[in-house]
Amino acid sequence: MTHSITTRWVGRLVALSALVCALAAPAFAQKGLDEPFQGPFKKALAGKTVGYVPVAMNFDLTEGWFAVLKRELEPYGMKVVVRDANWSTNAGAQAITTLISEKPAVIVVHNPDVQTYAKLIQRAEKEGIFIIQINMGSAFRSTAFVGANWIEIGERDTQAVVDFCKGKSNKIAVVQGALSAAASAYTLKGVENVLAKNPDVKVVSSQAADWDAAKAKAITQTVLKQNPDLCGIVGFWDGMDIGTAAAVKEAGLTGKVFVATSGGGEQKGACDLVKSGAFDLDLSYDVPTQGADMAALVKWLVSSDMKPGTVKGSVYTTLIPVTKANAGIDGTCWKLERLKQ
Amino acid sequence: MKEVVLRLRYRYWPDHLLGEILSKRWTETAIPVIVLLLVAFAFSEAIPGFLSPNSLADTARQAAEIGFVVLGMALVIVVGGIDLSVGSMFALTDFCALFCLDVLNLPVPAVAVITIVFGALLGAVNGFLIGYLRLRAFITTLITLIIYRSAYDLLLFDYSNTIAAAFPDDAVWDFMGGGGVFGVPSVALLYAMVAIFGHVFMTRLRPGWHITAIGGSRRSAYNSGVAVRRTIARCYAASGALTAVGALFFAARLSTVGGDVGVGLEVTVLTAAVLGGISLGGGRGSVARALVGTLIVLLITNGLTTLSVRGGVNRMVLAGILLVAATIDIRWLKNRTRIIAKVYVSPTFHHMPALLGPRVGQGSRFEQNDKLKDVSLIGLGRIEAPEDVILDRHDNLYAGSRHGDIIRFFPPDYEKMEVYAHIGGQPLGMAFDRDDNLYVCIGGMGLYRITPDRRVEKATDETNRSLYSVNDDSRLRLADDLDIADDGRIFFSEATVRYEMHEWPVDGLEARGNGRIICYDPATKTTRTVLRGLKFPNGICVSRNGQSILFAETWGCCIKRYWFEGPKKGRVEMLIDNLPGFPDNINLSSDGNYWLAMVGMRSPALDLAWRMPGFRRRMAKRVPLDEWLFPNINTGCVLRFNEAGDILETYWDQAGVNHPMITSMREHKGYLYLGGIMNNRIGRLKLGKADPDFVQYETRWRKSA
Repeated sequence: MTHSITTRWVGRLVALSALVCALAAPAFAQKGLDEPFQGPFKKALAGKTVGYVPVAMNFDLTEGWFAVLKRELEPYGMKVVVRDANWSTNAGAQAITTLISEKPAVIVVHNPDVQTYAKLIQRAEKEGIFIIQINMGSAFRSTAFVGANWIEIGERDTQAVVDFCKGKSNKIAVVQGALSAAASAYTLKGVENVLAKNPDVKVVSSQAADWDAAKAKAITQTVLKQNPDLCGIVGFWDGMDIGTAAAVKEAGLTGKVFVATSGGGEQKGACDLVKSGAFDLDLSYDVPTQGADMAALVKWLVSSDMKPGTVKGSVYTTLIPVTKANAGIDGTCWKLERLKQ
Repeated sequence: MKEVVLRLRYRYWPDHLLGEILSKRWTETAIPVIVLLLVAFAFSEAIPGFLSPNSLADTARQAAEIGFVVLGMALVIVVGGIDLSVGSMFALTDFCALFCLDVLNLPVPAVAVITIVFGALLGAVNGFLIGYLRLRAFITTLITLIIYRSAYDLLLFDYSNTIAAAFPDDAVWDFMGGGGVFGVPSVALLYAMVAIFGHVFMTRLRPGWHITAIGGSRRSAYNSGVAVRRTIARCYAASGALTAVGALFFAARLSTVGGDVGVGLEVTVLTAAVLGGISLGGGRGSVARALVGTLIVLLITNGLTTLSVRGGVNRMVLAGILLVAATIDIRWLKNRTRIIAKVYVSPTFHHMPALLGPRVGQGSRFEQNDKLKDVSLIGLGRIEAPEDVILDRHDNLYAGSRHGDIIRFFPPDYEKMEVYAHIGGQPLGMAFDRDDNLYVCIGGMGLYRITPDRRVEKATDETNRSLYSVNDDSRLRLADDLDIADDGRIFFSEATVRYEMHEWPVDGLEARGNGRIICYDPATKTTRTVLRGLKFPNGICVSRNGQSILFAETWGCCIKRYWFEGPKKGRVEMLIDNLPGFPDNINLSSDGNYWLAMVGMRSPALDLAWRMPGFRRRMAKRVPLDEWLFPNINTGCVLRFNEAGDILETYWDQAGVNHPMITSMREHKGYLYLGGIMNNRIGRLKLGKADPDFVQYETRWRKSA
């Protein structure tokens, strides 16, 4: 695809220049200027490896990031290798350990919790490997973090639920992810921040579903049975809250219970579900943008003369709230199949 | 020409090794080891640096953590159970360690002790339910798996963020989690120590044997007095403790109490155990197998991850391997004996010269007669299988019996009999030494001695192990006949080192030369093998010159002489070859010659079959044992030969009623006493021209005294 476009463009260019030359050969003797920075950039990137360790493959976020990284970096001769931890912290730690000994230029790490990989990340940067943490950060701050601001997500989701609950039962439930994961622990902090300002709102249940839709469904079913007058649920990830929404729908409470969640903003995972009324609010941290941010950082870091650990910075993703209002508009969400093309 | 090729092929190609190797217990460990090497080789080809020291150290750290859990699982499987709760116990003990360290701020040694004790307690719950209350292991541990996991989830909810926020700074803790000695991870060192202890424990110590015994057969172990319930309970507790050790190091390395800790660990661990060759049926397993299985599983999962294989595929591969390993385990266990039986028998080329039959009218030296017609019978129906008979200097008659006794008959009529001594195995050849000790070869047991005051003592039951033999040939399988040299050294034959006593016809079918002659020296109490590769060496008799022994090779159909002293020391000479039958015991006769018993006669069919090893192998594989070609032992004879090997006289029982097959004979005061291993009587024949005062003891010992 890219290749054919390139050749076509080259073809057109050659034709154009030939035409130009033929028309005004003696008048245009002037030469183009060589850009001095693109050569070293290409050289710096070519042949380098980017390791990618997600908590698991086969869902929208990790597949999306991987697709963008490949699309952005492979044309420059970089290799993107995935090491699938498959929901096992131990396997992920082992994968990073192995990666460190392979000395890639950059490792993109998706932390299952804030602690496990911390020492490994520290070690990797010491050994000269840039670590970009994606979405779920570790307690150790590395060269770069790209991802959502979970506290903000927690606050905005909870605020939406609290607003909806005004004048109703004021009973809400929280469906957490894996307890010590950044996306769960920090979001919970955001939830607490809002609740502190709204003492009349009562949390009837706050349980961990470990990012598992089936668990989330089971928890929500129980909560709804005990509290049929529940007015809102704060879920921590749309991939898991499919289960939460299903339980709400089964109880016939769609529309009566406000379901707020967050996710990568994939068409099927976010917009379609908001359209159907399963979710009332899905805060999207737009995966293609995050992927592009990471890819940009990789390009910048690898082409710079920097040593890992000399700078530390963050790229917090600007959130897109997906609601009924914008869920139907093309472009609000992204499609995984198209990203993979 | 064809026969030459055949002979060379069977002489130099070791057919018999396959069966011997397969029947070794270590082949069951060798196969996983080969798999491990293949896996390691394949991944090191596919992944550069896969087996580099760094990578190995990383793998070793993880392998040792899981290795501890596999050791626990192996222990439980060997005792005949299964422990599915290891994953949940792993999570709970991991939590316990981090809780003690990060929340209670206990010092590291206390954390270690508490965690291990906690693990042992968790395991002890399983142990109590399964060992004492005798619940099913599978269901019980499945339930504790769920209970422990729920407990973990509940605890996690309260403490996970506290633990996640803590960064313990402790040198010992860091050493456990990431330190090592000369590049070897700390956990791997501890694992090595535990593994070595575990190996000694399982193979050399009483409790280890008890565990294997219970796994092999719970009832038998109980009947043997093993404390079955207590031992089982302790195995589960040990499994918990070992899991805790693994979790402790895991906690030190990753400090994580994530929801996924230990999830699915039981499958990984079970795969490792089964893949290593620890049989799910119980009773079979070793530390080495647990280690090998762990390494295979880890190399495969880590290798696949490194090859960027997606997680789902990885799990599927692991599950597939478990399925294959479990299938092989079950099929192998079920068919092991049958497979070994099929390949164990490996006939070889054995050429016999043309047969000179004993038929009447052919003018052969062996022509049949009916000289044994007039035997009188001793102990008819009261004795079974007197392979050898012997008389002492007080005219008492001794014979072995199938029931493991030495029977003594009293003169003059030999009607009265008693059990002289009970040994337990079947007595074969017998001989008196100078001090009236009765030495007896016991099939399956070795060489025994019965003192004049009727005490049974073991003389020897092992010899030096041959260097190149696969089968452990140090134990005596079939000590057959013996004689005692003037200096007291005992030469005895071991008919075969490849078969048990009741399988002697199979050895004949193989005709390989599996026998040997062994010398036991009572003065130094040492046993050495002096001759090997003999075709069923049987009767032994010290010759009259006192420097050599004459011995019969039953399947070789010959008598040979072995010089153990004198100028020809160490040499073996053929004395009589191409006998028409299968020679058995040799003894002295009163006229200065030797008696020889022939247990059976050759037949053209077996002679031909001996030259066709392929035919015999096919027979052994395809035809049930009772339909195999069998050496003819329906008829035999006694003969006398001289020092030069000339046949002097033969004695036959043409009617075939009293003594169709004869395994031994002794001359005593003008009579010849006859024994037969398939017989229920002892024959007594009055000899015409014999010295009426001949007593073997006097001839043998007074002369040289």
